[in-house]
Amino acid sequence: MLTSKIANELLLPQVLTAALELLINKALLLNINKGLSLQTVSEKTLTLELAELAFPLSFTVSSQAKVMVSSLTERSDCTISTSVSTLKKLKEEQQITQLIKQGELDVIGDVKIAQQFAAIAQSLEIDWQSELAKHIGDVPTHKILQFGNKVTKSLGKHSTLLQADVGEYIVHEKRLVASSGQVKRFNQQVADVSNKVDKINSRINTLFSQLSSKK
Amino acid sequence: MSSSDQNSQANDSSVNQQAPVDTSNNSTTHFGYKTIEKDDKISMVAGVFHSVAKQYDVMNDLMSFGIHRLWKRFTIDASGVRPGNKVLDLAGGTGDLTAKFSQLVGRDGKVVLADINSSMLNVGRDKLRDKGLVQNIEYVQANAEYLPFEENTFDIVTIAFGLRNVTDKDKALRSIYSVLKPGGRLLVLEFSKPEHELLNKAYDFYSFNILPKMGELVAKDGDSYQYLAESIRMHPDQETLKGMMENAGFEQTTFKNLTGGVVALHKGYKF
Repeated sequence: MLTSKIANELLLPQVLTAALELLINKALLLNINKGLSLQTVSEKTLTLELAELAFPLSFTVSSQAKVMVSSLTERSDCTISTSVSTLKKLKEEQQITQLIKQGELDVIGDVKIAQQFAAIAQSLEIDWQSELAKHIGDVPTHKILQFGNKVTKSLGKHSTLLQADVGEYIVHEKRLVASSGQVKRFNQQVADVSNKVDKINSRINTLFSQLSSKK
Repeated sequence: MSSSDQNSQANDSSVNQQAPVDTSNNSTTHFGYKTIEKDDKISMVAGVFHSVAKQYDVMNDLMSFGIHRLWKRFTIDASGVRPGNKVLDLAGGTGDLTAKFSQLVGRDGKVVLADINSSMLNVGRDKLRDKGLVQNIEYVQANAEYLPFEENTFDIVTIAFGLRNVTDKDKALRSIYSVLKPGGRLLVLEFSKPEHELLNKAYDFYSFNILPKMGELVAKDGDSYQYLAESIRMHPDQETLKGMMENAGFEQTTFKNLTGGVVALHKGYKF
């Protein structure tokens, strides 16, 4: 976790909030879903306190329908304290109560605000193809997307194969493979046997030499 | 007097980048490295800002490599602004802080953008209107030493990169104290003294050799940017400004150095 002092020295909260603000407002500008409205959360603030970050992230929707991101905590309507990994689990609403009970999630304020923010984020629709075509033209866009689809399909195929191999290894092969401790013990036993053989060999040689001297 | 005339003496001092000994008395003050009559400073500073107003934002981005935006964000984050607050953005110039505050205080709040310079105020007003920010912003041409507001009016007063241009800083701080509500706070964002000697030297070299040339190239006004460099050196350092704020009546006064002390954010409360 980044310490608060280092983060502040490097103005990291300000760098991150500025980047997020730019990204979010750009995404809102490119949104093609006409049903999306920020009216429900106008002048409301959602604050995220992530365990991985030394500073909070506050998202405020202005009356001009712009999203402002800051590290201010004074004006939050809903504050969610959690971690990035738990944040991913929040997609499944039925898990929320369990996560709160487990102490992985803490919500202060009006939870409806958080749900409204989440609904807006999920209803964002961006036509990347049209946006790209505006800059580089239709044909290059088509070719790039065709290539992208091929790569995605290929990656998907390899990923499925990899998942199957890993599954096979975990379920079946891992049980049969000797652990490093077992290998170590086996090597020790082999060394012991080898020592014993050497001793017996030396003993036999001694006995042979005694026998030959008696003759 | 043109800004060029005002700074002819200042240009000579670029050879020696050390700030001169403070020779000001009750009737005189500084304009960069020059000691001038107090009555002349307002018009001389006005000359500088009338000259640079239109290129002010571009030059700010160029000179600070865009970092001034982060310093201003830091100021907003430190302000603790809430919906419904009344904010005075003093020496607000082209309205960077006002734009953010306006959206954060909401419909029930109010932001007053005040600047002594009409050119800066006009540029700021046009910029904010172009952004659609009209409903909760007022524009006032005002001298920080004689603020034309009732006592106990504002929750927050900010002055970003403006205090060093004020003729009588103590008087301005007292005036700000008066218009703040009890519990209100002042945030002063201003160039200051770098914490490390090496950074100080690099900063001096940049300020006196590169900055005026950039000003000449982009804003066609190198002299004004020479004044900028000199006025920064003549501005009180972190501890001195903290003391000045305390003398004006501010309590729980603290400062935070940003970018190694190139800039400092001072904060003080009125109780």
